[in-house]
Amino acid sequence: MDIASFFHGAGLVLIFLGIATIIIAGIGLFRLPDLYLRASAVGTSAGLGVASIVLGALLMDFTWLNLLKAVIAVVAQLLTSAVGSMAIARTGYLNNSRPAEITHTDDLIRTRRDMFDSDAEPHR
Amino acid sequence: MSSTTSTALWPWRVVTFLVWYAKEFLLANARVTADVLRPRGRQKMHPAIIAVPAASRSEAEWALISSLITLTPGTLTLTISREHQILYIHGMFVDSREELVAEIQEMEDRMLGAMRRQPGDLTRPVEAPVVTPAEPSEDGED
Repeated sequence: MDIASFFHGAGLVLIFLGIATIIIAGIGLFRLPDLYLRASAVGTSAGLGVASIVLGALLMDFTWLNLLKAVIAVVAQLLTSAVGSMAIARTGYLNNSRPAEITHTDDLIRTRRDMFDSDAEPHR
Repeated sequence: MSSTTSTALWPWRVVTFLVWYAKEFLLANARVTADVLRPRGRQKMHPAIIAVPAASRSEAEWALISSLITLTPGTLTLTISREHQILYIHGMFVDSREELVAEIQEMEDRMLGAMRRQPGDLTRPVEAPVVTPAEPSEDGED
């Protein structure tokens, strides 16, 4: 087996790993109970899936210019998915999306003035 | 503070941080993926929102630590309070408060070691911050 076909096979494996990661992240959207679990688990798992597909494509067609493009694409993808997840979660918290019942500690709720009102619902 | 990460040479700290973060990132991915696929009754998640004291000082350090925490699957920065030096972290597998705090602070120590040529000031607020809201002045509570 020569080196080119080895890289070709490794690239295919990475691409299919990335596809599997994205599919599992999609399943997670249905199975996880609240916004925050979905944002933290799915946002960045999907980022890893895309990064893995980009690296797989790079291995199958390696040039130095493609390496530069792949590095930029992976870094941009991971950064934007992290910032997007934070923005979504923060917006949800500010819009009174309560964490699921299994969330056992919530330090942030104590900083909210409206949750200290007597007529505010403590849950949902 | 006197661990090997803060006394080693700066380029070495950068390399060890990158390798350590890549390892944590992949492990966290595997852990979250396994829990998503587990049957509903046997899922191990114990989510919680924890206030974690932080040692970051500059804007770049705050931005990078909160992005890195969010990038790790299973942990998510909800908001920060630079005034009180607190990161509000939503964690997916939080069996105890101390466990998540130790995990986040190890990441921050390594990140600050990689960002600063001199590790410098790594102190954190030690007391639990009292961030109860001020009483609303216009309407009385009953």
